[in-house]
Amino acid sequence: MDNIILVAFITGLTAGGLSCFAVQGGLLTGSIAQQVESTSQSSGKTASSSKKKKNNGRRIQPANPKRPAGMIQPILLFTTAKLVAYTILGFFLGLLGSLFSFSSSLKGAIQLAIGIFLVGNALRMLNVHPIFRYFSFEPPSQLTRYIRRVSKRAESWATPLFLGALTLLIPCGVTQSMMAVAVGTGNPLTGAVIMFAFILGTSPTFIGVSWLVTSLGGMFQKYFYRFVALTVLVLGLYAINGGLVLVDSPVSSAKILRAFNSDPPVSVTATTVAPSPAAPASSVSAELAPGSPLTASDTPPSDVNRVVAPPPPTAAVIAQINVENSGYLPDNLALPANLPIELHLITNHTRSCSRAFVIPELGVQELLPATGEKVIQIPAQKAGKTIDFMCSMGMYTGVFQFK
Amino acid sequence: MARSTFNIPNMFCPACVMHLEGLEDELDGILSIKASYQKQRMDVEFDEKRISEQSIRAAVAGLGYQIS
Repeated sequence: MDNIILVAFITGLTAGGLSCFAVQGGLLTGSIAQQVESTSQSSGKTASSSKKKKNNGRRIQPANPKRPAGMIQPILLFTTAKLVAYTILGFFLGLLGSLFSFSSSLKGAIQLAIGIFLVGNALRMLNVHPIFRYFSFEPPSQLTRYIRRVSKRAESWATPLFLGALTLLIPCGVTQSMMAVAVGTGNPLTGAVIMFAFILGTSPTFIGVSWLVTSLGGMFQKYFYRFVALTVLVLGLYAINGGLVLVDSPVSSAKILRAFNSDPPVSVTATTVAPSPAAPASSVSAELAPGSPLTASDTPPSDVNRVVAPPPPTAAVIAQINVENSGYLPDNLALPANLPIELHLITNHTRSCSRAFVIPELGVQELLPATGEKVIQIPAQKAGKTIDFMCSMGMYTGVFQFK
Repeated sequence: MARSTFNIPNMFCPACVMHLEGLEDELDGILSIKASYQKQRMDVEFDEKRISEQSIRAAVAGLGYQIS
């Protein structure tokens, strides 16, 4: 989860800032211009109408550079209102997503749709084909007309505050993409935090970008826009991959990598253990083959593929996975067929989404404690069967092979 | 009242819609503008006694857009 929040913040800081500014910047600068004008009692043209910059069809309106002190209050009010509004929106988007999180397969389907939306948006930004223009939503004319006219009113501090909140109605492409990610989390709080992190990230860029655009001109915009598109493309491919994993598609990056992985599997045989949920890991005696034999006491439970030899019929088999921030160790376990498995999931200050452990095929969805142990019962499976496990977003994966 | 449709082939994002529709407030004689990024088009209703099509074209070009 932390990874996604960091990605949201960095996306805001880098890609989101200019994209948001292109769509919403006029509101801010128009409002500032009006405020500065009304404060200074000056007559004549407003900053917004006299400072328009034309660039490849983009009109960027820099703020009035002559009165930086007068600009601070409306900028802060605008960005604060925007931050609060989008955080609340993120909460409701996460809530919306949670309504649809009935199963990991459905979650995967939603994630796939989000990924396709992101990739479509990226291809739209790269102007690959006109069809991709339909991946962006246009607010109704009546709405944009209303917002535009409000932005031109010279009023009190309430105007930038109101306009900041109104940016909810005209999200830019990258913001729309991040909103889709918030839905995909299926958690109101995570959705709120993601949108907060994203908008927080956009804020310094949003404020500073007018200086950059005026200083560096069209070249800056051209390359920055491509960078925005590529970032969204990567996010989209990432989401599609996660979705493919969750819907148990035969094609996903983890499965492809696993297919090409030429490392010989580490075979471990173990004796039986008593069927007790609290059985310590040391009750398994393990031996590595090929390679140097290990005893249970010096075998780290996290670094082996474990094959547990058929125990007596009354015994259960204990398998253990260490749930780490970067994934599952081991992530490829060979388990005995036709026996129930007691799976121990061990967390130790684990903060990433690997804590949201999912086995789609068995309908298992568990949120593990940050530090602790969770036991999951896996029913006996036939030999040759493979079952995938993963985090709830499909980022970290692994597989059980029954032999 | 007259209506004209202009093709704007270099609208590159939905923000262009807002910029173009903003001409409603800036040009005297314009009754309404409906721009579409998806269709790369702008439909304008205007009072031909107060503003000419040429003036509208000039204003659009002034924003940096191609017009046909």
